[in-house]
Amino acid sequence: MADQWALVATELVKNFGSKCAVDGVDIRVPTGCIYGVLGPNGAGKTTTLRMLLGIIDPDSGHRELLGTTRPRSVSHRIGYLPEERGLYSNMKAREAIAFMGALRGLPWAEGRKRAEILLENAGLGFATHDKIKKLSKGMSQFVQLLGSIVHQPEFIVLDEPFSGLDPVNQGRLEKLILGERDRGATVLFSTHIMAHAERLCDRLAIIAGGKLRYEGSVDEARATLPMQAHYTPRDNDPALAALLPADAVRENGSWRFPVPESGMEAMLGTLLESGHGIAGLSIERPSLHEVFVALVGEKAVEEMEADAGEEIAA
Amino acid sequence: MTRYLRQAVVIARRDFLATVGTPAFIMFLLAPLFMLVFATVGGSGARMIADSGNQSRRLVVIADAGYAERITAADRRIRGAFPVGVAPPRLDIRAPEGDVAVQARAVFSESTVDASAVMFGGPHAPQIQFASGGRTGSRYLLILAEAAARAADSGLEPGATLVSIQPQPIERTHATIGGRQSLGFTALFVLFLLTLLLAGQTVSVLAEEKGNKVIEILAAAVPLEAVFLGKLIGLFGVALTFIAFWGTIAMFGFAQLPADAGAASALRPAIGLGTFLGLAVVYFAMGYLLLGAVFLAVGAQANSMREIQMLSLPITFFQMGMFGLASAAAARPGSTLALVAELFPFSSPFAMAARGASDPAIWPHAAAIAWQLLWVAIVITVGARWFRKGVLKSGPSFFRRLGAALRGKPA
Repeated sequence: MADQWALVATELVKNFGSKCAVDGVDIRVPTGCIYGVLGPNGAGKTTTLRMLLGIIDPDSGHRELLGTTRPRSVSHRIGYLPEERGLYSNMKAREAIAFMGALRGLPWAEGRKRAEILLENAGLGFATHDKIKKLSKGMSQFVQLLGSIVHQPEFIVLDEPFSGLDPVNQGRLEKLILGERDRGATVLFSTHIMAHAERLCDRLAIIAGGKLRYEGSVDEARATLPMQAHYTPRDNDPALAALLPADAVRENGSWRFPVPESGMEAMLGTLLESGHGIAGLSIERPSLHEVFVALVGEKAVEEMEADAGEEIAA
Repeated sequence: MTRYLRQAVVIARRDFLATVGTPAFIMFLLAPLFMLVFATVGGSGARMIADSGNQSRRLVVIADAGYAERITAADRRIRGAFPVGVAPPRLDIRAPEGDVAVQARAVFSESTVDASAVMFGGPHAPQIQFASGGRTGSRYLLILAEAAARAADSGLEPGATLVSIQPQPIERTHATIGGRQSLGFTALFVLFLLTLLLAGQTVSVLAEEKGNKVIEILAAAVPLEAVFLGKLIGLFGVALTFIAFWGTIAMFGFAQLPADAGAASALRPAIGLGTFLGLAVVYFAMGYLLLGAVFLAVGAQANSMREIQMLSLPITFFQMGMFGLASAAAARPGSTLALVAELFPFSSPFAMAARGASDPAIWPHAAAIAWQLLWVAIVITVGARWFRKGVLKSGPSFFRRLGAALRGKPA
């Protein structure tokens, strides 16, 4: 199992007092992939990650990380960026990275050497000997991120890594995550920004209200909804509606409807025969956004996107 | 286990360097200097005032040359029996002029000296008068008159004595019971003082990590027990730096003092001086780790500096309690109370340090150190579990739950 799956967790449950934070979540992360945990704020993502890492114990359920049921015993093979960022403000950037490496068993000298290279590659070489308190919030967050991968872990967990970063640094982070995956690491990150999950993840889990709503690849997620057809007729005859599926929606002289299960061929024949013509036709896969709306509801998605919008604006 | 210790050392190193590398540490290191400076300035000022008063005090004897010679000889001999600082005021011999009673009365009004007692009238009709504060001086004059009269009756020359003995100094080979007890108590007190000054710092040691959220990184990377142990070792390093600094200065100071072999052997501990000092260092470490671990565990539950400040009082009382128990044990070596103090883990280091002064056996120390180490491990483990349960689960803190329980509501 250890080869195929970096992490397997089943039926994880965690209650805080009377509040159920995580309610029966299953996650399977294949070795060497980028895995996203997607969900609105307060969905239980952080609690799930903390349970997977062994920072807190689940009330019930089973977890197996890198082949062991005691995640803390493999902490030196794991890198973790917590959601609550924090570094010692009086430490220099290079020292902070080496310190985090040393906690995971990396010798100090090696940690310092790697820190210099990592900072240089991330475009932060100028800050190598600056104290954390002198860096901007985004920069210090990046330093912490580098600190969590300096020991070249096999399994990397990043809790909301994109929040607080400007678009330039978000781009750098995406590059870094892909680079770590190419190195052979398995990356698990949580986010409430769908675009990142869509661009980066091989697989993902969608959590809302402490429950798992979806687990699988991004393509499979999209396949849970039918393809969307966007059809523009040559004429604008209202009688056309009778030939289209019942849930077709009219938009500025075009029609949008889910592709029927039987496929488009039969419908296209009918449309051509009826003489309405085809001025434009596109068949699109549903976006992750639409999948998400279908899974967790319009309201949760709106809240999530409002949070994401605020962060980007900030 | 080695990984656990290595992680603890990483945390200890960070804490030690972060503490020692700040300007505040210099203040901390030099704090006793301020105390010494104030004590010296205050003490010497008070002594100067007292000295200037003592310098001008006099016992006056109005006597002719022959009687004066006998009085002076008696004074020289008897004054030698007084330790420095408690000897009677200096003797002032005056020749009789006219009416000695009038002359004597006038002495009390002189502005250049403070006469507290005056003797006049010669060997045949001696009289002594004293002003307020001069009663002791008057008794001394009486002793001088008596000694002079006895010498005259025996027909001795002034300055000669009936018996002539040269006292021989003897070096003591056995420690005195009192010396050992006071040595034990001194060790206990020094240990207590150092622990009181230094171990209390651990109460706020996790406040930094909780404030800057580094606790999340530490908790994810390292077992909490290693975090606790590392923090303790780091602060212990700071404490040792402090002790090494002042210890070196103190040793240098003692080396300048004249050696008094007799006094040193009266204080020789039963277990041997080298072992005694070595054990004192080990027991300081044990006391620091034990009490420090308790304070760390309790302080880790606090959510704010205010809660930590509130905790400092019960913590001081706890330490005072341990000191009281251990010092009661030091006063009665071998009693049941001493056994209780030696067995109770938090007073054990102090009580055992004192025991070395009066008991030569080594094995109780080996057993006590093992016992105390066990308790350090227990306290750290329980403290870390408590922290994991109470704080990391993001539930309400112990204090909030306690408050809620007292109010009869769920937290």
